[in-house]
Amino acid sequence: MTAPLDDDIFQLVREPIEPGTLVGHVRAPEDGAIVTFDGFVRNQSHNRRTLYLDYEAYEPMALAKMREIAAQLYEKYRIHRVAIVHRLGRLEIGETSVFIAVSAPHRAAAFDACRFAIDTLKRTVPIWKKEYFEDGAVWADGELPPSPVATPGAKPAS
Amino acid sequence: MPSVSQTVRVKVLFFGRLKDAVGQAEESLDISDASTIEQLFALYVQRIPELAKYRSSLVASRNQEFAAWDSALYSGDEVAFLPPVSGG
Repeated sequence: MTAPLDDDIFQLVREPIEPGTLVGHVRAPEDGAIVTFDGFVRNQSHNRRTLYLDYEAYEPMALAKMREIAAQLYEKYRIHRVAIVHRLGRLEIGETSVFIAVSAPHRAAAFDACRFAIDTLKRTVPIWKKEYFEDGAVWADGELPPSPVATPGAKPAS
Repeated sequence: MPSVSQTVRVKVLFFGRLKDAVGQAEESLDISDASTIEQLFALYVQRIPELAKYRSSLVASRNQEFAAWDSALYSGDEVAFLPPVSGG
């Protein structure tokens, strides 16, 4: 199956995410399954009551990394289409912060690809979350993306 | 070959807790041509010593790709210092 990244959706949005639109976009007659991941704002973090969250991103790089994730999905799994959308700005409890939809001819690939997509997004896409509590705010702990090792031969002798 | 003393302008971006520590999200800075990302960060540590404690928990990017700390910087490059990511 080809890798039609141009038909996929990669977005950073400031308005509420509409899952139905995204699911409809990835759905096609040749598919037999869609798996979605809906990540939304939890009302507590480490036993502290969360009031709301504020997300920011390094936007052009985040979009590029989301596309890279989709490219990896096409290499690893037999899937048809992908949609990955992350919301930025202030989000209230229960609001969707990230939504991923993957369609495929068969369910196993869709499940595996959707899981890979959210796990990889959380490790590699430059997005940050600030958690607001009753007594203050903190940047969430998070994961450090893998850093490239030292540049081989910083100045090639051509 | 450019001389070592030549300066070039790069754009530097900060995010998350690092942005709070630096007090700004971005600036343009003149540095020596072919300075490394590590050297650029050291300039900021000189200015704001508390940044040193973030060094081990940062990754860097150059022109929107993750980059090694010894990557050399040239005119017009965009460098970002990225704390642990927490999207999702």
